[in-house]
Amino acid sequence: MKDDSMADVQVAESSQLAESNSILTRIRNWLSSWFQWTPMSATVLRAAEKKILSCLKAAYRGWYVDIGSAVGTSDKIWTISLNQESPKTPIVMLHGLGAGVALWVLNLDYLACHRPVYAIDLLGFGRSSRPSFSSDAVQAEEQLVKSVEEWRKEMKLEKMVVLGHSMGGFLAASYAIKYPDRVAHLILADPWGFPERPADHKPNLPFFYRAIGWLSQTMNPFWALRLAGPWGQNVVEKTRPDIMKKFSSVVNDNEGENVVAQYIFQCNAQKPTGESAFHAMMTGFGWAKNPMIKRIHEIPSDVPVTAIYGSRSWIDSQSANIKERRPDSYVNVQIISGAGHHVYADKSDVFNAHVEKACQMADKAADISSGTCTVEEKTSSIEDTTSEDIDVKK
Amino acid sequence: MNLSFAGCGFLGIYHVGVAVCFKKYAPHLLLNKISGASAGAIAACALLCDLPLGEITSDMLHIVREARCRTLGPFSPSFSVQDILLQGLEKHLPEDAHLRVSGKLHISLTRVYDGKNVIVSHFNSKEDLLQALMASAFVPIFSGFLPPKFHGIRYMDGGFSDNLPTLDENTITVSPFCGESDICPRDLSLQLFHINVANTSIELSRQNIYRFTRILFPPKPEVLSNMCKQGFDDALRFLNRNNLINCTRCLAVQSTFVVQDTLDESLEYDPQCQECKVHRQEATVANLPDTVLSIFQDAIDSANKGLMNWVFKHRGMKLLSVLSLPYTLPADLMYATFTKLIAMAPHMGNNLYLMSKFIMDEVSRLLKRMNRERREMSAQITCQLAITEYGGACDTEQEQESPVPVKNKMNFNFTLNLDENGEKKGTSRRFSSNKILSRHGSFSVNRAETSNVDDDTFEHILQVTAQHEAVMAYYYMDENNKVKVTEIYDVTDADSSVLLNPEEKMLNTQLQYDDDWDEVMHGSWMSTQPTMEEEDLDGYDGDTSVSSTEEDDRDDRDRHFSSNVFSDPESEWTRGSSSLQSLTAKPDNAGRHFKSSRPESDQTGRTTTRLPPRKYPVMDS
Repeated sequence: MKDDSMADVQVAESSQLAESNSILTRIRNWLSSWFQWTPMSATVLRAAEKKILSCLKAAYRGWYVDIGSAVGTSDKIWTISLNQESPKTPIVMLHGLGAGVALWVLNLDYLACHRPVYAIDLLGFGRSSRPSFSSDAVQAEEQLVKSVEEWRKEMKLEKMVVLGHSMGGFLAASYAIKYPDRVAHLILADPWGFPERPADHKPNLPFFYRAIGWLSQTMNPFWALRLAGPWGQNVVEKTRPDIMKKFSSVVNDNEGENVVAQYIFQCNAQKPTGESAFHAMMTGFGWAKNPMIKRIHEIPSDVPVTAIYGSRSWIDSQSANIKERRPDSYVNVQIISGAGHHVYADKSDVFNAHVEKACQMADKAADISSGTCTVEEKTSSIEDTTSEDIDVKK
Repeated sequence: MNLSFAGCGFLGIYHVGVAVCFKKYAPHLLLNKISGASAGAIAACALLCDLPLGEITSDMLHIVREARCRTLGPFSPSFSVQDILLQGLEKHLPEDAHLRVSGKLHISLTRVYDGKNVIVSHFNSKEDLLQALMASAFVPIFSGFLPPKFHGIRYMDGGFSDNLPTLDENTITVSPFCGESDICPRDLSLQLFHINVANTSIELSRQNIYRFTRILFPPKPEVLSNMCKQGFDDALRFLNRNNLINCTRCLAVQSTFVVQDTLDESLEYDPQCQECKVHRQEATVANLPDTVLSIFQDAIDSANKGLMNWVFKHRGMKLLSVLSLPYTLPADLMYATFTKLIAMAPHMGNNLYLMSKFIMDEVSRLLKRMNRERREMSAQITCQLAITEYGGACDTEQEQESPVPVKNKMNFNFTLNLDENGEKKGTSRRFSSNKILSRHGSFSVNRAETSNVDDDTFEHILQVTAQHEAVMAYYYMDENNKVKVTEIYDVTDADSSVLLNPEEKMLNTQLQYDDDWDEVMHGSWMSTQPTMEEEDLDGYDGDTSVSSTEEDDRDDRDRHFSSNVFSDPESEWTRGSSSLQSLTAKPDNAGRHFKSSRPESDQTGRTTTRLPPRKYPVMDS
């Protein structure tokens, strides 16, 4: 705890240099480092992410991509990349709600064998900056999609395979509607927000339970986590031991500290702007205000779509729907048995194989080599941190 | 493919629906292992024993009716879930139930004293099986206050540690809560936020919160009927999606196919089989079988019709019954106490005797412990005296009868204690370990004594005697390094002289063997020695003792010494007993692949282990 708060002060100082030197902010930062209830800290988050990603066999590089004033005044998107110099079509990975780049750890190595891989923390999530989004569903969605497009421009990628999980899948589909020319292949991993909310969906329950449901709808999804404050990481450990188990084969947790739980908690402990954007796009119990299934036909028919679901997840009726709505284009629906919502981690081998297949299709379709940005290569993750610090200060 | 049923209290009616569907459309899935916790374990057992599901359902509804008509629902003092469950199971389970389910049924239990999960799959008798099922369905306070014992260790509901035990990758999970299970209700809401409680994935939705409250407070028969139907539908949908519904002719093909290729089962293996198609068509429009449905209808009718029910359904009457709670509750409490006393009367004397003995033991141990702090220094000085005595005695009367074993034992222990003092310097650390050990030891004494009482079969008696001896021997092994354990041994000796009698007899016979051996079989111990040694180490590893490795070494040396003096009768004895044990121990070893913390294997390990050192001090004198 003490170390964390010390680190907080340091981080606060460095960000001050970047922003402004006014005494007011300094005092506010100093106060908040002492009086904050939730022990959130960018340093701890960075350390946790680094520890998880240290299990990767291939070298990776992480840095902030400055996308200017897309939503806030100066937004930065945290990006990690592997095998950047490969000429094949790159794949861009968008994580789900409450997650971050590090949770792709089981997939990065395999995919990076063949092509450039980019994973980003969506704006408002993970280590990216957290501007406040619009409270309108359509606008919030647009803002998020725009941030991804700004990032692509900054990275100078011509065409890419977009892979999105859960909420990331929703955004990926939305991105493909808006910028179809940039999408070589759309891969949806158990996407959120596709089906329509049933019209007369009122379960016959006593008043008490309906009241609880109504109350929980008015708040941000992870409010309980932040309320738990110092015990937030324990809450993650206790309520989602299954996630820890998924990664236990790769992530080596010595000295008993649960890095994955720490990472997830730190991702969600900060100012929940991305979460608010999600909350704005959501209605009822996890339904989308503008369900994607209604708009899926707006994706031009030359954009191939692969949808990968876990058999234990909520797919039942909707999986076939994408096919129905796009009758004359490529739609490949895969159901991985024994996998749940986190299909990429539950059965990573099968999942990777499906993704790779889709990517190869994109390679064949377009022989254009993706434009790589000319940034000097860093191989070891230790050097990484130094470059990243410089980026922060800049 | 294995099946796994989640524990869920009164929602277990959902499992009945699933079971009906499996029996009808996919009986080949029931040939493999089935695991479960709590109500899920009972459902699994019923499926494996092929019990009539209609009767099970009516029994379940009977329990629900009983629970609902009490003043405080299932928490009423006069309502005992455990008794009703036990009665029902005893009535329905066949006599050879344990043989049918052994190795197939995996029951998830939670060990009370450390909260760890234990999966049991081998049962020696029908009573054994019932005990395991009862322990797995034991929710503290709700079902009672003292958790039931299984193989001498207290367990409670498996739902506290692992509610949905999965045996391998290809386990079909059945859970009445909407979440990430293979067969579960799919509520009309998106599963975005779910939590994972004791290995069971539960979505955070209003329906699930409602279901959660119904685990211990049973709902109306109508709701239960719907749940059962839901279970049937969900199971059917799962089978349909995975193409597991076939005609009997194709069953064999299908099952091997599933084992080989689990990744994409959506492949059609024989689309031509018309019979399968018809079967599937039937299944798509199928509903719960009439036998089960009619039972539900009866239950619903009996709950709704009739003048009494009509009267009690009125709001005014409900209010009245709530208002009258302060008056009816004491009456209920008194009634419950009275009936319990009546039921307990026959066993009362025995129980009281046991209880008083237990309390006496505890008090004496407490007194000893309180005195210990003051005596610690002086005890070490007397040790020195003891060893001189011991050495002299050992030389002169080596192989003679033991008239006063207790005293001699003390001497011996003190000797070793002194040895350690001479070699080791770190005094403070040793004392701290002493405390832990003496506590540990006292615990096992209690267990040996109490477990001595509730057994009847011949095998049990054999086991328990072995166990009892082992416990004493266990002290000796650890005592080699410790001070205080000796005293505990003393106390039990003095208190339970009745218990010691058969042992002393046994010892005497062994001593006679000793004499025989000294002249006759001199060389044969060499061959038996190593195996014995191995067993010793095994058992020692599995133990939760605190001693360090150096101490182990010394133990070994001592044991070597002991076997040097009179090994053969001893090793024969061990061999005999271990071969007897090995019958029971073998399947356990096989079951270790799944869970290492298996109580039975622990016990058998102990019994074989601690025999040799136990004899050492006695016969030395």
